Amino acid sequence: MSMVSLTVNGQSVERDVPDNTLLAFFLREELGLTGTHVGCDTSQCGCCVVRLDGVSVKSCTTLVHQIQDAQVQTVESLAQGEQLHPIQQAFTECHALQCGYCTPGMMMSALDLIEHHDEVLTPEVVRAEMEGNLCRCTGYHNIVNAVVQASRVMKGG
Amino acid sequence: MKDIKLTAVGQPLQRKEDIRLMKGEGRFSDDQCSPDQVWAWMVRSPHPHAKIVRIDKSAALKMPGVLGVFTGADCLAAGLKPINHSPVPATQDDVKLRGRGDTDVFVGRHHLLPADKARFVGEAVAMVVASTREEAFLASVAVDVEYEVLPFVIDTELAAQAHSPAVWDELEDNVLVDSSYGDEEAVSAAFAAAAHVVSLKTHIQRVTAVTMEPRAALGTYDEQTKRYTLYAGSGSAVRQKRELASVLGIEPEALRVLSLDVGGNFGSRNRVYVEFGLVLWASRCLGRAVKFRAERSESFLSDYQGRDLVTTVSLALNEQGKFLALKADNISNSGYCCVSLSPLSKGSGLITGNYDIPNITLRARAVYSNTMATQAYRSSGRPEVTYAIERLIDKAAAQLGLDRLQLRRLNLVRPQQMPYTNAMGLEYDSGEYEANMDRVLMLSDWAGQDLRRQEAQARGKLWGVGFANYVESSIGTPKERVDVTVLAERIEVVIGTQSAGQGHETSFAQVAADLLGVPFEKVFIIAGDTDRVSAGGGTHSGRSLRHASTVLSLATQDLVAQAKTILHALLGAQEHEVFLQEGLLKWPRGSQQWSWFELAALAQASPLEPHLKVLKVRTDHEMHTPVFPNGACVCEVEIDPDTGSPSLMRYSSVDDVGRCINPLIVHGQTHGGIAQGVGQALWEECFLDPETGQPISSSLMDYGMPRFDNMPSFNTQIVEVISPTNPFGVKAGGEGGTTPALAVIMSAVEDALRPVCATLPFEMPATALKIWTALNSAKANANANANSSSPGHSLSP
Repeated sequence: MSMVSLTVNGQSVERDVPDNTLLAFFLREELGLTGTHVGCDTSQCGCCVVRLDGVSVKSCTTLVHQIQDAQVQTVESLAQGEQLHPIQQAFTECHALQCGYCTPGMMMSALDLIEHHDEVLTPEVVRAEMEGNLCRCTGYHNIVNAVVQASRVMKGG
Repeated sequence: MKDIKLTAVGQPLQRKEDIRLMKGEGRFSDDQCSPDQVWAWMVRSPHPHAKIVRIDKSAALKMPGVLGVFTGADCLAAGLKPINHSPVPATQDDVKLRGRGDTDVFVGRHHLLPADKARFVGEAVAMVVASTREEAFLASVAVDVEYEVLPFVIDTELAAQAHSPAVWDELEDNVLVDSSYGDEEAVSAAFAAAAHVVSLKTHIQRVTAVTMEPRAALGTYDEQTKRYTLYAGSGSAVRQKRELASVLGIEPEALRVLSLDVGGNFGSRNRVYVEFGLVLWASRCLGRAVKFRAERSESFLSDYQGRDLVTTVSLALNEQGKFLALKADNISNSGYCCVSLSPLSKGSGLITGNYDIPNITLRARAVYSNTMATQAYRSSGRPEVTYAIERLIDKAAAQLGLDRLQLRRLNLVRPQQMPYTNAMGLEYDSGEYEANMDRVLMLSDWAGQDLRRQEAQARGKLWGVGFANYVESSIGTPKERVDVTVLAERIEVVIGTQSAGQGHETSFAQVAADLLGVPFEKVFIIAGDTDRVSAGGGTHSGRSLRHASTVLSLATQDLVAQAKTILHALLGAQEHEVFLQEGLLKWPRGSQQWSWFELAALAQASPLEPHLKVLKVRTDHEMHTPVFPNGACVCEVEIDPDTGSPSLMRYSSVDDVGRCINPLIVHGQTHGGIAQGVGQALWEECFLDPETGQPISSSLMDYGMPRFDNMPSFNTQIVEVISPTNPFGVKAGGEGGTTPALAVIMSAVEDALRPVCATLPFEMPATALKIWTALNSAKANANANANSSSPGHSLSP
């Protein structure tokens, strides 16, 4: 056990947790932020993607003690009350979610992709860059549309 | 229905459920926690078939944090019953499956933990419960299970042989179903008279659902109320409650099951999992809430799996290509115990596909094997038989030198034949099969394919196009119940079928809103909690919207009757004087009208008897008549001859779903359905090593999945041929995406490889390795032939 301190969604948190605690379970079980999901045990599915100091990471493969004092952003930070984030708005308009289990990780990955590209995204770029996120419901078609649409909105295009 | 103004129905409304799911406020199984919870971990068999000689718990019990170790012997001692899955489909339109010699089907015993032997790699043989998940895992390694390894069988055809190792000692071999149908004499005569006979034998391989949410469960027991509670995602909380109560030997009322948000189902969650019963039982034994969460590797081993059918089909044709008769012999691999015979039954009814084939014979068998049990999976049974008939027609066209589209057109069931009874006795309700063909040929720009073929070939690629028709059946549990309550500014609909991503909260609300004439925003759908939902059939077989819209139609009539009773009691209004028009209950004689909400408030504030103070109805409905969604699709594929890698370039699909309630949702369902079909055609396979019976593809690194970068965009078109069988004319959406996908993709791959291979030399999945190997052996054969035909190099004597 040792102390870890992080800033999660703008709030400082400190917890005394076992040294092998993974960020995903820290968020879910210590902080009750259950929007971050865990869909596999081999870092393949991307359901657990959060942003760490502005970069997307798979939180199921990140030891919480490795990231002392880091800024963590989870899906819970996106909407401001009733006001949806543009990525959320695009996801619901394009019907880019069905069961919703992969959705938090999808949106956090997409956000990272949009912010790290200067241009409005093309479907080809989205398909190439997001292959680390799996979805079993949608066949990806509508997620691609949603990410392109969100990038257009966020780039003011 | 004709009096109803469709305002919400038919609109692509955004989903109500999206908001909580996108905000991270979903309520999935593993999100549920109890402050005092402890963790369960399963000890799983490493052998495909082994007698459990002895289980020594002593070392595990001494490990830190361990609270208990439970075995199959403990289950028996505690009097736990096997799970009764009711695996034999029993509605009047299900094809009746029987054991050999018309005997009852022997379904095995699905105990929570086996006491006698382990029957597949990954079967839970003991459960450890400890304070933390890690402690439970560490102690599970210390559980000493002594096995006596037995011979095993995994292969479907081998399992059907007389002397294969018996999975169940009670059965003389592994064949649990052996039923024959059709007119043997007529079929023999047709084959004898046929100008052509074309045959095909194929194996539709086993796949698994890979729901993104691994299964999880939290079980609690309240000593005060003597009540159990289970949080576990499934396709029907009501069914889970009934079957688990029977396992525990308690009254159903003593168990509450909550299945709130469910991270994908596709059939795999429609049957009870042993871990659900185990956490409940352990919670009572230990006086603590007990939680289980499967690792993805456990999901690959022990989620209910799908497909695994060996089919042999022969078609008799006359000189012109008209189909005369079909023979089919289907063997379904049930796995280690019989959880559901739905795939075999549903497929059996549809072996003739969209075609008018007057005579058939079918032998349908199901076999046990030392593999995980199979269950309905995305369009249970229909993709398998669609694959058989559509691939057989492609083969016939190639063999007879006929155009594959013309051969289909010649034999389709015509609209004027509807309702059409197929040779298996199923009555297709409606459909425009040839029009679907025309629509999809237009949608896919079939006429422009030569240009695309030449363009691909100019880039050095092999190019092919596939075509498939489909008809599928939506049958399912015939009963559904709804409770509708009018509250202040809100209508609550409690229903027994529930969503795992299909958007019921939205599409059911659209239906209820138009029936009652209230805004869509005012309707709230409640499902998945057995303390609210008392009965209902659950989600499967594309039944939900058809049943929901029908029972809601009836509930609306009941609600109007209730309103009339209230108005009579309050104001003396006569029944025939009151009517519902555009959301208002009107009583012209009193020159009065009320919205539903006004009437509910009026009743609430009145001095009426309690049962009249609440505007609320409970409506039950039983509907057996099946419907038959149908359609056609076209797929174009490019193959890189250097790597064998196939790429889907275009995918077009036309789907007659009957009345479409929400096109946004229906297109989405079709996309997802197609993707699962693509996965099976190109990558997916639960591969077991034939030498050892060990699963080889048990992680997302080994099991090929549809991904962003290997999937095409889809061109989907909804057709609404209204079904005459239910008030809204609903058929079903979603399964139609999967049903023809296996056939159309393999048809395209075959077309692309035709210049080098006359027939496809491999089965699904059409992986790059298989294609590359086929290309290379074709090249080697061509070289050998070239060499052997040149003088001086002949190898022949």
